[in-house]
Amino acid sequence: MDVSGTGIQEPFDLIRLSLSERVFVKLRGDRELSGILHAYDGHMNLIMSDVEETIMIVDTESAMAGQGVVNVAKRKMEMLFVRGDSVILVSPPSRT
Amino acid sequence: MTDARAEPPTEVSPPPPPPPVQLTGSPTDFLKGVVGKRVKVRLVSGVDYQGVLSCLDGFMNIALEQTEEHVNGVVTNKYGDAFIRGNNVLYISALEAL
Amino acid sequence: MLIFSVFKTLTDQTVTVELKNDLSITGVLKSVDQFLNIRLDNIKVADEGRHPHMMAVKNCFIRGSVVRYVQLPAEHVDTQLLEDATRRDAMNQVKR
Repeated sequence: MDVSGTGIQEPFDLIRLSLSERVFVKLRGDRELSGILHAYDGHMNLIMSDVEETIMIVDTESAMAGQGVVNVAKRKMEMLFVRGDSVILVSPPSRT
Repeated sequence: MTDARAEPPTEVSPPPPPPPVQLTGSPTDFLKGVVGKRVKVRLVSGVDYQGVLSCLDGFMNIALEQTEEHVNGVVTNKYGDAFIRGNNVLYISALEAL
Repeated sequence: MLIFSVFKTLTDQTVTVELKNDLSITGVLKSVDQFLNIRLDNIKVADEGRHPHMMAVKNCFIRGSVVRYVQLPAEHVDTQLLEDATRRDAMNQVKR
């Protein structure tokens, strides 16, 4: 079953092992979060604390000119519920 | 006009070797076989993730290891582990022989 | 179900719901259901200039599927309890 010896049998195990750890979350709409994971469910609804959100805003004018200029907006939130349908990817802290 | 109907076998040769399993297997067989292999996961957004497939479930939620994120062929991120929510997945492609 | 329970414990607390259309509504959480539909009272819309039609609205019902985030009052969230409940939930999922 387990290939790598990390004790993961199904994808959600990866998330379970990240509880109370800081995780990186990629969301639809060019948003990323970094925060401490406290809860999740089968929809990938998440509850996180100490969250920093990064929003990538592509400047359309410079994009027209062929320049890949991306503006970044950041904000912090103390305790956040994230609806699962926006989630693309969750990455736990690297366990080295 | 040529007559293509009559094409009698001119020689008796042994049948060709059976094709490798991944060509005949069902999608489920493919998914079973590809676990533990290097794969490319293409999302509907066009972003690619290349890494070692740890496991997946019925929703096509995917756990990858040693993951590289590729956008337009450029590596834009690296993750030790990555969970990809299945609804975003367009396809999974094997990067090595099964 | 777990997240539904969390929201139930937060009724009568002030939360900020951010919708997928970027509208951000702060109000008192009056009720929530299994779809995470939300009823808010005493609402205030962030950036009213951009949403003038919301100025006279005092309460609202939000369909769960249009929610991106809900900012929760951190002091009313027991993170240890959440993590334990999430692990318990995950165990039951595997057993099915």
